[in-house]
Amino acid sequence: MRETALTARQVNITYGAGTAAVPALRDVSLTFSPGCLALVMGPSGSGKTTLLSVLGCMLLPDQGDVHVRGQSVRALDEQRRGDLRRQNIGYVFQAFRLFRALSALDNVVLALDVAGESGRRARARAEEGLAAVGMAAKARLKPHELSGGEKQRVAIARALVNDPPIVLADEPTASLDWRAGEEIAIMLLRIAKERGKLVVVVTHDPRMTPFGQRIVKMEDGRVIEDMEAR
Amino acid sequence: MWLAWRNLNHDRFRFLVTIVGIAFAVFLMIFQGSLLVGFLRAASKPIDMTEADLWIAARGVEAFEFASPLPERFYDIVAGVEGVETVHRMTVGFTFYQKPSGMQQSVLLVGAEPGIGSRFPVPYVDAMRTSLAPDAILVDSSNAPTLLLDLVPAGIEISGQRARVVNIIDGFGSFFGTPFVFTGYEDAVRYLRWPGDATVFLIVQVEPGSLQEAKRAVQAELPEVDVWTRDEFSRRARLFWVRKTGAGGAILMAAVLGFLVGLVIVSQNIYATTMENLEEFATLKAIGARRWYIQKVVLMQALACGSVGSVIGLAALLPLLGPIRGTISWIDTPWWLPTGMILVGLVMCVLASVASIRKALAVEPGRVFRA
Repeated sequence: MRETALTARQVNITYGAGTAAVPALRDVSLTFSPGCLALVMGPSGSGKTTLLSVLGCMLLPDQGDVHVRGQSVRALDEQRRGDLRRQNIGYVFQAFRLFRALSALDNVVLALDVAGESGRRARARAEEGLAAVGMAAKARLKPHELSGGEKQRVAIARALVNDPPIVLADEPTASLDWRAGEEIAIMLLRIAKERGKLVVVVTHDPRMTPFGQRIVKMEDGRVIEDMEAR
Repeated sequence: MWLAWRNLNHDRFRFLVTIVGIAFAVFLMIFQGSLLVGFLRAASKPIDMTEADLWIAARGVEAFEFASPLPERFYDIVAGVEGVETVHRMTVGFTFYQKPSGMQQSVLLVGAEPGIGSRFPVPYVDAMRTSLAPDAILVDSSNAPTLLLDLVPAGIEISGQRARVVNIIDGFGSFFGTPFVFTGYEDAVRYLRWPGDATVFLIVQVEPGSLQEAKRAVQAELPEVDVWTRDEFSRRARLFWVRKTGAGGAILMAAVLGFLVGLVIVSQNIYATTMENLEEFATLKAIGARRWYIQKVVLMQALACGSVGSVIGLAALLPLLGPIRGTISWIDTPWWLPTGMILVGLVMCVLASVASIRKALAVEPGRVFRA
């Protein structure tokens, strides 16, 4: 039987209450295996980002459960969910979420520092991580000195530096031009294929479609299509 | 914590505003603290400088400066109490001092018999401190300009009687505006010209180890007076000036205001910095930072501001203390005061960061997915 990295079972989430209640996810069940670049696609308001929040252990489902490498999230308190995120999941955000006061290198070091690794070894690992995404030459620059594509590369280096088995990316190409977007898409595919990580990308960018090995389509909080790409 | 320092360094203007606020607060707290300590010490200094074990004063006397006369026979009664070794008389009263220019100046005249303590200013004739120079008075250097004294000895008049300022002393400056003038007991009685009794304090030294017994015995012999140990009377005098006059309270209030002003400035700036970096705290939470890690970032930012601001506040005040002492002779900055106020400043910063820490911890990590 193939190992699973991330599982969502009958997940339901509703925002608001009473007449103002808006169901964001309805009976979503998905299983993701390592070494796969999965795209979650759909129109705005279809529940993609809510699904990513739930898969990323940042939001608890009203009903159902999420398992990260076999560990149920529902049973964990906030602190333990944080531990689970730190140990298992790397994040790439549409808005990059780099720390303005830190250089590219220090942004990557920060992820190691949060995980309890600091000093020269952490800096060496962060330098390796930046080199792996082609950012070694710009390690000393601050985010405002980088282009959108470069910021996203730094964000990917930060997401990978602790070597998490899962990478969740929210619209990673949305803020980028065509070329930078394609580079990021290739990079994410390589992370899945060559490093054996599960990469889940929420996107409505059709440029990402050719790179997805699995495509999950959502509408009105439901999974309407889940297919392996050819 | 390097992230805290980098955050501060990134927004240097806000950092500057914060440390200026803290520096101002620490400056104010140390300055007002120095005034309060100096005020309290000055309020009881004549009492503390005696070698008395007991002070005997008319019932209800609360401060050295405002005493009323005791019947002269009390001197002999006290001298005869078991356990009493020596008794000395002291008189204190307001009178007029005629400056060399002929202008009158109100002064507080203090006259004491020899033997009440080597640190108490009395115009002794010799180094043996046994006899007093006649018609001689001592004036504190901080009051010399008020009394138009350039050189000593200087001939002046007190209550229309001739006297000589024979020496200028230090450390006995008046803290309430009226200069202190020190002389011997007999001369003071003569200058004051009170009708009837002139002694206002009896200064008692008791046999070693018999302080409380002697106090009780004196009180039993003279139930109509107050009998205090030196420490008790010293504390009573300080409390009088702090509570009853409101002067000490006002100084204390200014120090508290300094603390509050600093607290508000630091709170606002640290809170604003936290709000500005809220997305970054959300990111920290999203990538799994523990609660203490986030607390540490905010706390370290506050403490870094506090440390730098405190050092600047102290560095700004220290060179000014000399010139300030020229104007306020009794101001006193013991070593523990700056240390204590810097600690208070750091506590202030910790308090200021509480709201920011709560805000940073409460942020939803899921907000990082919003563009």
